[in-house]
Amino acid sequence: MPDFPTSRPVLAGKSARHGKGITLEALPEGHVLQVMGATTSADLRALLDSAGLTGSALRPAGYRQWYAVGDTPLDAQALQAIVTALPPGTYLSDQSHGRVRIRLSGTRATELLSKGTAVDLHDSAFSVGHTATTLFGHISVHLSRTGETEFELTVLRSFAEALYSELEELAA
Amino acid sequence: MSNHRLSTGGRIDRTRTIKFSFDGKALTGHPGDTLASALLANGIQLVGRSFKYHRPRGILTAGAAEPNALVTTGAGGRTEANTRATMIELHDGLIARSQNRWPSLAFDIGAANGLLSPFLSAGFYYKTFMWPAGFWEKVYEPLIRNAAGLGKATYEADPDAYEKCWAHCDLLVIGAGPAGLAAALTAGRAGARVLLADEGFALGGSLLTDGDATLTTILAELDALPNVQCLPRTTVIGWYDDNVFGAVERVQKHVALPDPHQPVERFWRIIAKQAILATGAEERPLVFGGNDIPGVMMASAMRSYLNRQAVAPGKRTVVFTTNDAGYRAAADLEAAGVDVAAIVDPRARSDAGWQGKAKVLANSCIVDAAGGKALRSVHIAGASGTQTIEADALAMSGGWSPIIHLACHRGAKPVWSERHAAFLAPERQEGLTIAGAASGHASTSACLGDGARKAAEALAAIGFARVEPTFLSADDTQAAATPFWYVKGSKGKAFVDYQNDVHLKDLGLAVREGYGDVELAKRYTTNGMATDQGKLSNINAIGILAEARGVSPAEVGTTTFRPFYTPVSFGALTGTSRAKHFQPARKSPLHEWAKKNGAVFVETGLWYRSAWFPRAGETTWRESVDREVLNIRKNAGLCDASTLGKIEIFGKDAATFLDRVYCNGFAKLPVGRARYGIMLREDGLIYDDGTTSRLSEDHFFMTTTTALAAGVLTHLEFCAQTLWPELEVHFASSTDQWAQMAIAGPKSRAILSEIVDEDISDAAFPFMSARTVSLFGGNLEGRLFRISFSGELAYELGVPAGYAESVADAIMQAGAKHDICAYGAEALGVLRIEKGHVTHAEINGTVTPGDLGFGRMVSTTKPDFIGKAMLTREGMQAADRPRLVGVKPINPETSFRTGSHILADGAAATLENDQGYVTSSCFSPNLGHTIGLALINNGPERLGEKVMIWNGLRNEFTEGVICSPVFIDPENEKLHA
Repeated sequence: MPDFPTSRPVLAGKSARHGKGITLEALPEGHVLQVMGATTSADLRALLDSAGLTGSALRPAGYRQWYAVGDTPLDAQALQAIVTALPPGTYLSDQSHGRVRIRLSGTRATELLSKGTAVDLHDSAFSVGHTATTLFGHISVHLSRTGETEFELTVLRSFAEALYSELEELAA
Repeated sequence: MSNHRLSTGGRIDRTRTIKFSFDGKALTGHPGDTLASALLANGIQLVGRSFKYHRPRGILTAGAAEPNALVTTGAGGRTEANTRATMIELHDGLIARSQNRWPSLAFDIGAANGLLSPFLSAGFYYKTFMWPAGFWEKVYEPLIRNAAGLGKATYEADPDAYEKCWAHCDLLVIGAGPAGLAAALTAGRAGARVLLADEGFALGGSLLTDGDATLTTILAELDALPNVQCLPRTTVIGWYDDNVFGAVERVQKHVALPDPHQPVERFWRIIAKQAILATGAEERPLVFGGNDIPGVMMASAMRSYLNRQAVAPGKRTVVFTTNDAGYRAAADLEAAGVDVAAIVDPRARSDAGWQGKAKVLANSCIVDAAGGKALRSVHIAGASGTQTIEADALAMSGGWSPIIHLACHRGAKPVWSERHAAFLAPERQEGLTIAGAASGHASTSACLGDGARKAAEALAAIGFARVEPTFLSADDTQAAATPFWYVKGSKGKAFVDYQNDVHLKDLGLAVREGYGDVELAKRYTTNGMATDQGKLSNINAIGILAEARGVSPAEVGTTTFRPFYTPVSFGALTGTSRAKHFQPARKSPLHEWAKKNGAVFVETGLWYRSAWFPRAGETTWRESVDREVLNIRKNAGLCDASTLGKIEIFGKDAATFLDRVYCNGFAKLPVGRARYGIMLREDGLIYDDGTTSRLSEDHFFMTTTTALAAGVLTHLEFCAQTLWPELEVHFASSTDQWAQMAIAGPKSRAILSEIVDEDISDAAFPFMSARTVSLFGGNLEGRLFRISFSGELAYELGVPAGYAESVADAIMQAGAKHDICAYGAEALGVLRIEKGHVTHAEINGTVTPGDLGFGRMVSTTKPDFIGKAMLTREGMQAADRPRLVGVKPINPETSFRTGSHILADGAAATLENDQGYVTSSCFSPNLGHTIGLALINNGPERLGEKVMIWNGLRNEFTEGVICSPVFIDPENEKLHA
């Protein structure tokens, strides 16, 4: 029997980069759960809390779609428990390996982001908690404002290295 | 050379000296200089040679419209041709060279063209180089291009960085002259998000020349407002849909050594809720003989050099003007102590307010100017006779043309205004208002008031209540303008378009020869072409055409304004998308695994796919691929299939939905089973294929081809959202979630059994089984599918992407004793051709399911599915359609290529005899010869027929025979092993 398999984060080799007014870091490959269907943010929040995922953030991702994200990986049992608790007409697709999260923070974060995305990031238009599915350059990302000067970019795993490399260059 | 810098005045920093060179000569200037002003200060009037006649040319303007003073700057990869000396901010180390001259600017052999000028009139090329026809491309054009022209681009790579960015604002103000500043201040005080862009390096526009004291106050207040962002050195170059503006910021074009971490240029895409176009007006040249001699200059430009850079281009200046602007220039010159020899005014009654020393010659015109490389004298004709006045500089002003280009980028047409003797654009369009001189205002106070009022109105339109204009409206006192298109009776060439050497007679000739329409005249004479796009010449040309045709300029109309307003570098348009960032690299979760196993990668769209895995001693790709193919048919192989599109489909109506998007049935697919599906377009032709598995009652897993992963998901969303919104169905792309490995070959079951916890015998897990399985003793869950593209006993195993490398390693380890090998996309291609499986080489957008032998798969019982209606059309069912068959060479030693055409035996090699083509081909190591798949008319009815396989491009002929497309295991025994 071969060895027990291990998971390799796609941005494992990337250290955090601290530029002038910019910090760029790959977040742990914990969990990214795509939830779709007939529910609400409040009901989903309650569901996550009751499943013990109080540390997970809930990110709107379009009409009746959300990402529930967090830093800890979920095993098959934990995942199944959430699926079972979902109300009828609501579905979950585990994207914990399919999406990679990158955090960008600092006083120049919006300036850097404006080099890639057409989303208006002014406080009055994109306050904390706002999300948008957009392009950064040529790459599709799900963008969330997680703090006054803190953003999270969720990207398809296959594009994660290319996006990180582009952000590193712009943050230099 | 003499010093033309005045001892006092100007907005230059005399405490600092800047060193630069022109045509190798070391020169100096000061901060605040442009290249043009520094050259003038150094007494250099001759700056370039004209496009066609190589005439000596000087500096005509002080801004973006400059047609003459085009120079090449920089060296090596930073070489930049055709830059306007009037727009280059002087900086230490600036290297500038003149263009279009040989051997030197002062002595230019090409000037001999001038002697040929009687033959080089408008339409000359069309008339002269007609015959022999073949000579145009090979002889005439290269010769002409060599003789005429502008600067030369470098072949070296540009070492500098460029970037693009987005900006959003409530109000974009374009132009920071009086109207723009007033607009920005009004909006800034109201709390709006304001962007103020100006192409100059200093904000102020005409206030910089007029020396208005309010400028400092306004700029200080704007600077203190956090909601106002000023962008000097930024040219707004286009107005696009949804009120998006393009702009180029010259970030580091004015520094000696650019900071490598900063771009030299930044391309802005500005999304503005409202915009004020305050771009001012362009002074029109006067058309008279010799109006291109170095020393002849626009009056406003001369004022600008005088007041901003303390440069007097001449020692003795004549002013030729049709309006007040010339008098302002004369007054400023006299105030600076420069001798003004005369003011020549064609109007009967000259401006009554003139108090200066210079004599005013009313009812007079400059008919001709004399001088070669520098102005010597002007010849004046008036009511009281003629006279010649010596002068080394001439300031001319033929009236004003509002700069309305951007307002016309989205289709609006300029309208002729008799009162302004100018073309004006509609003052208000949705999202864009024109203010100040750009909308026909003349005085500074009128422009300030107009800008402030229009900003307040624009903000009111987007919900800002009670915005106070910062300046009061003021009336223009200027009388109605009278157009003056050209001086009659000039002997010398009177240029209309300086950059293209179009003179008065060329336009007359165009009208006489039937090219009087403004668009035709432009093409016939080249008036208004090239880098300046006729900024100075177009309106005069329209006036001249109107007069020649005996109509109003309104009837002639303008040519079409299109982006960009001024030339934009490719660097700015490219931004950071160059070298390795040209396009993003998309990597499979098995990329690192493939790399360490020696894969050679091939770019497939953005993906990097492993193509083959060479081993020691293998020198060609074919050796590696043949080995991989033979080993898979004998033992086993592992291939990365992760790039195929994967879509999770959820919902209680998912089965119904799939039944409607596939042409074959899916509603009754049992849980735990996979099915090959074909998706049609509405026109009945095949869109995509793949397998879809049912993982639970309301959860399906669809695979698509790599190329159409995004397209199929979009198609599904479209169907769900617009065609059948009543169905409860949801989609999630899981292409990146799952690493997908194909394990193929007779020993694949034995290998996988060591990893999969469950029984995968043929009885327990037969062909087309699909379900979630436990792996590694319950340590991991994966998805196992018994599907086969290779035609072998085969499986596809999906694991969460992070585990890809680890699991692939484990499979290779378990498979070592079974001689497993890694294989790539090339071997996969050979295996599937041997088995007769299709890809998008066969699904080429023109085939029906029946054409590919899937006719019986198409459901006849389903009430509807996409493509059903059109599939019944007569032609879609015709027997003689090209249909899928195999082809092979009669002599196995011979070969043929993909794309070759099929001819009936004995038929001539013509396209009329074309009977189809080879869609895919390869060397089959199992059969020992080339095989191919082909779409051939009536193909399946012609098995065994001898044909000629013809490659017309390479003139290759191979005798072949039509055969079944399935070359290996036609009984499917391997699949079901």
